[in-house]
Amino acid sequence: MASSRDELKIYWNKIYYAFPILNDMLFTDCSDEEYQEIQEIIIGLGIQIKIRDLVLVHIEKYLRQHVAPSFWAKFIKVEEEVKGFQLFKSAVNDLYESLKNFSPILNKLNTLNNCCGDNKPIFGERDVLMGFKQLLRATLLSQLPLDFPVIINHFYKISFNVFDNEYENSEMPDDIMCSGCWNESIDCNCAYIVKIFHDTNRKLVELQLLERLTGQVLTNFIQLRIESHIQKVCAGTFDVSHIGFLENWLDTTVMSWLTRIYCAGSSKPQPDNHIVLNAISKFKQKLSYFLYHSYTKLRIDQLFNIVIDYPDSQAAVDDIKLCLDKTDLRSTLCKKLQNALETRLLHPGVNTTDILTAYISTIRALRHLDPSGVILETVTKPVRSYLRNREDTVRSVVSSLTEEGAGSELAEELVKFAVDNDNENDKEEDWDEWEPDPVDADPKVNSCDRKASDIISMLVNVYGSKELFVNEYRTLLADRLLGQSVINTEKEIRYLELLKLRFGESQLHFCEVMLRDVSDSKRLNALIQQDRNFESLNSKFSSNAMILSAQFWPPFKDESLELPEEIKQHFEAYTKCYETLKGNRTLSWKPHLGNVNIEIEIGTKKLDLIVSPFNATLIMHFQNKPEWSLEELHQVMKVPITILRRKITYWQSLGIITEKTTDNYALVDGSEASKPSGSRNQVQDMICEDEETESVMASAHDQREGELQVFWSYIVGMLTNLDSLPLERIHQMLKMFASQAPGTECSLQELRQFLDTKVRTHQLILQAGMYKLPKT
Amino acid sequence: MKVTIKSWTGVATWRWIANDDNCGICRMPFDSCCPDCKLPGDECPLVWGACSHCFHIHCIVKWLHSQPQQQCPMCRQDWKFNNK
Ligand SMILES: [Zn+2]
Ligand SMILES: [Zn+2]
Ligand SMILES: [Zn+2]
Repeated sequence: MASSRDELKIYWNKIYYAFPILNDMLFTDCSDEEYQEIQEIIIGLGIQIKIRDLVLVHIEKYLRQHVAPSFWAKFIKVEEEVKGFQLFKSAVNDLYESLKNFSPILNKLNTLNNCCGDNKPIFGERDVLMGFKQLLRATLLSQLPLDFPVIINHFYKISFNVFDNEYENSEMPDDIMCSGCWNESIDCNCAYIVKIFHDTNRKLVELQLLERLTGQVLTNFIQLRIESHIQKVCAGTFDVSHIGFLENWLDTTVMSWLTRIYCAGSSKPQPDNHIVLNAISKFKQKLSYFLYHSYTKLRIDQLFNIVIDYPDSQAAVDDIKLCLDKTDLRSTLCKKLQNALETRLLHPGVNTTDILTAYISTIRALRHLDPSGVILETVTKPVRSYLRNREDTVRSVVSSLTEEGAGSELAEELVKFAVDNDNENDKEEDWDEWEPDPVDADPKVNSCDRKASDIISMLVNVYGSKELFVNEYRTLLADRLLGQSVINTEKEIRYLELLKLRFGESQLHFCEVMLRDVSDSKRLNALIQQDRNFESLNSKFSSNAMILSAQFWPPFKDESLELPEEIKQHFEAYTKCYETLKGNRTLSWKPHLGNVNIEIEIGTKKLDLIVSPFNATLIMHFQNKPEWSLEELHQVMKVPITILRRKITYWQSLGIITEKTTDNYALVDGSEASKPSGSRNQVQDMICEDEETESVMASAHDQREGELQVFWSYIVGMLTNLDSLPLERIHQMLKMFASQAPGTECSLQELRQFLDTKVRTHQLILQAGMYKLPKT
Repeated sequence: MKVTIKSWTGVATWRWIANDDNCGICRMPFDSCCPDCKLPGDECPLVWGACSHCFHIHCIVKWLHSQPQQQCPMCRQDWKFNNK
């Protein structure tokens, strides 16, 4: 018994001698031959598995208690980058060295494991060495301190700076300061830093710790490089595609960084080193995604300008189109562009025409970017609802539709539509090119509508009504035909033809009659001028007339104006001639409409002006009598005083009439007028046409009121029979009796407003909620 | 100051001198045209009957064609064109 216990003690000592780790030590003098003997004893005792496992437990304990803590002890928060550089370098170095000390033990353990024959995995790995590395990584990471990236950051920052310097700007050699290590050039430390950089990376790769430890920091650095490269290359230019160059740059420059990091400075990895090759290829995938992502984000930030520049920016749009498939930035794009449009366009300071121009290029650019039309629909929703609430939108659209010359996108679009329409018929439905809608499409909208609608219909759809558009066009045309002294009928007819293709013949029939009135008037004028009655009248000045078919023109604003006697004579003569020419027909003059060419001699100055009949009448009165009060002018001209006061400013701005005292106006006398006072000369040169741009047509609101007027006779009838009625009852009865009347439906609200205007003009009395006719 | 008028372009609307606003046959305003026409005035003139009723010429001609007796649709008197 005693001897066997002694024997056992000897055996244990031998085992301790072979595996000093069991005593928390690494060093032993035990040679390979000696170990062979000891191993035989272990096998003889049949305890090889137990010893192996015991050694593994002790290795783990040692790593936990000694190796990991002393490694992490160096990962402290330091400010100075150089200090961090040194700390990280020595941490990796020390770890590497201390692990070298394990190799005798690991060798022995490996031989012992081979004799165990139980095929048990060592920490999940096939053999001892790999198991050990796995254990090491697990142990280290289990003790990861909070601030561990600080010194890693410092290390890579310094290294990368040198690294960049070495591979990128080699063309700046003779600086006083080395731009790599920021030392004076004589003391340049770059070579040392590069050596340490590669050395440290090599050790980390060997320990398979590079990615786990520095992956995030490295990725951040490379991503920063990628971002700044993209910024540098792509800022401000939209007419070049960059994605090819960027991909190429990633494949060459960035990949060479990665390879050098993983392969200890060599630019080519060993072809059989699968771990490294694998790591590099995974890294590249990550970076490649990042490249697309950053590039797309940059382009999305610039998207407003890109859209405005379209089609010059088509290259950039193509790039985004490509990148959207590779990234998940679709909804970011929608949100950002929508925001940009809202903040940069949709406020009162921006002209409607500018909003429209931007809207049109947005439509074009986004159509190209996303043919399904879904992005366009989402992004421009606020633009559409904003335009809907702007008063002059229809007018702007209509006027740019019929504008001539460069820059009128809509006019071009209108012509294009006519051309496209011709080709449309021989187009077959491409059923085999069908693609499903993107997932973010609004299921309520028909995808065909989304794709097919062209720019003009998108604009018309802002309102949802073709009629409104056509009506506005009619008003605009009327203003143009009546406001211009020289009318380009041919041009107007050409546009009308184009519009007819777009909106249909019947809608625009009224406009056709209007244009015909103009050309008929020309012919009629020529005819009437030959009449003998006119000869004497024409000796003073010639008069022309535009004879309109009232039923086809938009309603005119009713304005009164008493013309000078000599003008009235002309008109009377004209009417007489007309009546003889066209039996059973006569004329009603609109004295406030038309235009007058007058010459004013004042002092030594002569002014040739085209003015409104109002302005002509006014100045003629001043010729007869140099001073007028507003009241006197009101008496002779039959124009309301407020309007007189507003319109007389035209002559004031020309410096011909001045307000002497409140509401009393006088001619500026000749000597004074010719005095160069301020910028008057300039004014005379500039203004040769009446500045009045106000429409002579009744506004949509006035027109509606006119339509409601048809109800008035019904209402009067009702109230005559039933004495007094509340609003609701009147509304009901109108619905019953007057539903066929033009002007169609009339809401309760509208009716109330209409009746209120009647109360205000004393045509109705409102008493205790009942409407009554006033007693006559 | 001396003002000289060089030319004056006025604006007027034309209308038929008739004792009603609308054509009794098509119910359209006289100053517009009958449903078969596109242009008013010269292209779609009015005619008067001996009974003093008047219509778009196209309307009354169509009406007379469709009737066995040639009567004014308003007063049922025999229709005679009146070149007033
Ligand atoms: Zn008729
Ligand atoms: Zn007709
Ligand atoms: Zn009759």
